[in-house]
Amino acid sequence: MSRIKILKSVTFIALAIIAVRLFFIQIIEHGEWVAKANEAHTLLETITAKRGEIYMMDNGEPVPVVLNQTTYSVIVDPAVTDKEGIKNALEKHAKSYITADIDQVFSTEGLRYYIIAKNIPHKIATAIADENVSGVWFQKSNQRVYPEGETASRLLGFVNADGLGQYGVEGSLNHILSGTDGLLKTISDVNNVALSIGNDNVKIPAVDGKNVVLSVDRGLERGIEELMQAAIDSTPATNAAAIIMNPNTGEVIAMANLPNYNPANYGQVPDASAYSNEATEIPYEPASICKNFAFSAAINEGVMTSSSTYYNLGYEIVDGWTIKNAEQRATLNNHTLDMKTALYWSLNTGSIHALKLLGGNPEEITQQGREKLYDYYHNKFRLGRETGIELIEAAGYIEDPNEGWGRNSTYANMTFGQNLGVTMIQTATAFSAVVNGGYYRTPTIVKGTLENNKITPLSREGVVEDQILTNDTSAMMRGMLINNRSYKVRAGIDKPGYDIGGKSGTAQVIVDGAYDNSMSNLVGSYIGFVGPSGEMPQYVIMTKMWGAGQALSGSEAQSLFDTLSNYAIDYLKIKPNN
Amino acid sequence: MNRKHKSDLVILFSTLGLMILGLIVIYAIGPMRANVLNSTYGADYDQNYFFLGQLRSVALSIAAFFIAFKFVPYKYIKKFAKPMMIIALILSGLLWVLSIAGSSLAKCELGECRWYNLGAVSFQPAEFLKLALVVYLADFLSRKREEGAIGSWREFWLPLLIVCGLSLFLVVVAQGDLGTGVALISIIFGTLLVAGVPAKQYLIMLALILAVAVGAVATSSHRMERIHAWLDTISGAASSDSTYHIENAMLAIGTGGFFGVGIGNSVQATGYLPESINDSVFAIMGETFGFVGLFLIIFVFGIMLFRMLKVADHTADNDHRIFIVGVFSWTLAQVVVNIMAMTGLVPVTGITLPLLSYGGTSMVFIAFAIGLVLQLSCYTSREVIKNENISSRRGVRGTHYTSRRGRS
Repeated sequence: MSRIKILKSVTFIALAIIAVRLFFIQIIEHGEWVAKANEAHTLLETITAKRGEIYMMDNGEPVPVVLNQTTYSVIVDPAVTDKEGIKNALEKHAKSYITADIDQVFSTEGLRYYIIAKNIPHKIATAIADENVSGVWFQKSNQRVYPEGETASRLLGFVNADGLGQYGVEGSLNHILSGTDGLLKTISDVNNVALSIGNDNVKIPAVDGKNVVLSVDRGLERGIEELMQAAIDSTPATNAAAIIMNPNTGEVIAMANLPNYNPANYGQVPDASAYSNEATEIPYEPASICKNFAFSAAINEGVMTSSSTYYNLGYEIVDGWTIKNAEQRATLNNHTLDMKTALYWSLNTGSIHALKLLGGNPEEITQQGREKLYDYYHNKFRLGRETGIELIEAAGYIEDPNEGWGRNSTYANMTFGQNLGVTMIQTATAFSAVVNGGYYRTPTIVKGTLENNKITPLSREGVVEDQILTNDTSAMMRGMLINNRSYKVRAGIDKPGYDIGGKSGTAQVIVDGAYDNSMSNLVGSYIGFVGPSGEMPQYVIMTKMWGAGQALSGSEAQSLFDTLSNYAIDYLKIKPNN
Repeated sequence: MNRKHKSDLVILFSTLGLMILGLIVIYAIGPMRANVLNSTYGADYDQNYFFLGQLRSVALSIAAFFIAFKFVPYKYIKKFAKPMMIIALILSGLLWVLSIAGSSLAKCELGECRWYNLGAVSFQPAEFLKLALVVYLADFLSRKREEGAIGSWREFWLPLLIVCGLSLFLVVVAQGDLGTGVALISIIFGTLLVAGVPAKQYLIMLALILAVAVGAVATSSHRMERIHAWLDTISGAASSDSTYHIENAMLAIGTGGFFGVGIGNSVQATGYLPESINDSVFAIMGETFGFVGLFLIIFVFGIMLFRMLKVADHTADNDHRIFIVGVFSWTLAQVVVNIMAMTGLVPVTGITLPLLSYGGTSMVFIAFAIGLVLQLSCYTSREVIKNENISSRRGVRGTHYTSRRGRS
C-alpha cells in the first residue's frame, strides 16, 4: 500500500469515527442531552411578594409602625484575583457591616462563595457596586424596620428569617400581610440571568401583601407603656399588661405588655414566653373582677338589686370547704349588708349570695343557679371562649354546671373569679357589656387594610353584637362601680366632672395544681371605665401586674389604673361635665 | 517541475467557506461571550468586540492565504527553511526565558506563557513554529533523500531528533501547550512517512514517542487530571470541576439534535461552555447547526484533507510533496484532536479548530500554509507518483526522478 494511502485511510477512519460519534450524541442521545440541558439551564425563581406594612392611628391618621427596608448581603468569590480591590471597597463603604474576617475568607482553599457582609442598605450596596470590583455579588433581602423601637412589640410580633410572621399581628394577620409569591421559570445564562431564548418561559407575578391599620393609637400606646414601666420600677412587679378599649364599639385603642423585646433583634430573649401577648394569649383567674359578672347576672334576672341585703358571716361553707372573705373587719362580719356594700368591700359571701339568688333559693346554691351563672358567663359574656379579635387568642375554660365533682364550690369560686380561666381581652369585652348599656360586641384591633390612603375594613366572620343585659342592669352596675371609687374622688385622685368606676381583683396563683395559700404569689388586676359625668363611659381600661413569687394585690394594678385613666382623659381630651 | 495549471478549486473554496462560517458563528455568539466576561469578570467588552476581532483575523488570514498562493513562490520560502526554523526556535526559547524572568512581554494565561505581548496585539510563536517546522522538514527530508541519507543515524536521525526534540520541549514543556505538541508530532510523523523512512525505523520511532508521551502524562498531575476527567466523563461518573468542560461541550452538541437550535439561540454559549468562541467553537456549532451542520463541516474538512493528499499524490517534487503532507498532517491533527475532545473521544488538550476558532495567529499561519499548498496544486501531474518508498534504492543518487513519466 502506498504511504499516501495510509494517510488517506487514517483520515477516513478518524472522520468516520467522529461522524458516528456525532450521530450517537446528536440523534440517539439527543433526548437525554436536552433533559440534562433543561435541568442545567432552567432558572426557577420565586418572585418574593412585598410584605404589607403595619400602621397605628395618630390623630385620626394612619402612621406606619412596622416598615420594610430592602437590604443586601454581600457575597464574594474568594478565588478571584482582585482580593485587595474587594477588601478595599468593602472596608471603605461597609466596614461596620462586615461579618467575617476577610483575610481568612480569602485564604481558604477551594472556597468560591462566602457571605461577607449582611443587612447593607441600598445606598451603601450601590456605592460598593460602583467600585466595579469583580467577584462580588449582592443578594437582596427584605427586612422589617421598627421606627417605634420596642413599643408594642408583643402586640406587633416579628418576622422570622424565613419571612414568616410570628406572634402578635405579624403572626395572626400573616395571611394578609405576606401576599402571594410569584414564580419565574425561564432559560438562564451561567450567572442565572434570564435569557429571552426558549418558549416555555413562565412568569407569575407576585401579589404583594396588604398594609394593615390597627385601631391602636400610637401616642396613647407609647404613653401608657412609659407609665407602666414606671409602675414596674416602683413596685415588686416585673410584668404589666393593659388594655384600653372603647366599650361602645369594641375597638381596642391600646394594648401593652411589658417588658417589651426588641423586634429587630428578636432572637435575644430568655424564652419564648417573652413574645406572647398576655392580653389575649394567657388565660388566668381575674378574681374579684368577676363579681361584676355575677352581680350583673342576678340583677338582670330581676332577683337582686344594688340594695338587696344578705347576712354576712364573714365566711361561707360550700361542699365542706370554708370560703372566707378577704376583708374580715368587725363592722362587716355578722352584719346584714346590701349588695353595693358587698361589692365595695369585695366580699366573696356577697357574690355567693348572688349565685344563690340566681338559683331561686337565698339559702343555698342550686343546679338552676349554676346553670344560670354558666349561661351568663359562657353564653352571654362569652368567658372561656375566643372573642374573635384579630389576634392570636387562647380560649380558657369554664367548668360545666352539671358535671364533675364539687360543682357548688367550683361555682361559688367562679362568682369571685377563681376556678376558671379567661383572658384579659375576654374580661375587658365582657366588662364593656356591663357598663355600655348591656351590649356585647366582638372586640377588634384592626381598622382595615390601607391602599391609596383608603382604609378598607377586613371582612370578619362571627362578629357578635348582642344586647345581653338591660340598660337598667348596666346603669345599676355603673352606679355601684362608681361608688367603689368614691374615696378616689374624695382623695382627689379621680378628677371631678367624670364618671369613673372600677373593680379590683387579686388572685392566688395555682402552683403545682393547687392554690398557693401562702399568699406570697398573687396576681393583681383592675378594670374600670371612664366617661364624662352623667354620660355613657367612653373607655374601659384593664390593668394587670404580676411578678414571679411576688404578692401583688389589686392595689398595685389599681394605682396603675388611676395613672392610666388620668393619662387617657388628658390624651383623649375627654371633656368633664360639671 | 510540471507546467503551471489551474489551482485546486476545492481547497480554495473549502478554506474560504470555513473562514466565513467561523465568522458567522462568532457574529452570533460573540455578544454572549462579551456579556459573560463583563458580568463574571467585570470586563468591559463591546458587544461587537469578538466579531470585529474575528473579522480582522479573517481579513488578515485571507490576505496571508492569497499572498502565499499568488505572490510568494515556494522556492523562495524553501531557501529560508533553515533560518526560519532557527528564528522560530529562538522566538519560542526567548519567550520561555522572558516568562521565567517575569517580563511583561510574555503574556500568560492560567499559568501558561504562550504569547508575546505586543501592546494591542499578541503573537503566539508556537504557530510560527508549526509552519517553520513543516518548511524545514520538507527541505531537510527531501535533501536527505536526495543524498540517500535517510535512515542514517548521524546524518539523518541525529539532526532530526535535535530539531524536533527542541521544538517539542519548547512547546510542550516550556509553554505547557499539549495541543500544539500533538500537532507537531503529527507533522513530524506525517512527513517522515512520505519521506520514505524505512518502515521498521518508522515504527520504532512511533513507539518511542508514544512511550515518551505516556511518561510525560503520567508524571504530570495536571495532565493526569485531564485523563481522569475524560475517563470520568465517558464513564458517566460524578461531575466535578474537571469534567465540566467536556460535559458542557457534549451538552451543547447533544442539544443540537438533527437540525440545531439555529443561529443566535445557543444557550451553552451564554457562559456554560468554557472557551466557547475558541477551542469549543465546534460544540457551539453543534448546538446551533445540529448534526446536519456538523456533518457538513466534517465533510468540508474531509474533502479539503483528501484534496491535499491528492495534490501530494500528483506532485513530483519531493520537497513539495513533503510540504503538502506536512500541512495536511497539521490540519488533520488540529481538526481530529479538537473535535474528538469536544465529543469525549480523547482528553481535552486545548487546541483550536483550524479556520473556525476565534484567534488571530493560528488562523493566519494555517491560512498561509494552505495558501502555499494551493500554489503547489498548480504544478501537479495527472499521474500518481509512486516514489515514496526508497527502501530498495538506498544510495542510488540522482535517480529519484526515474519513475516520473512526465506526460504533461
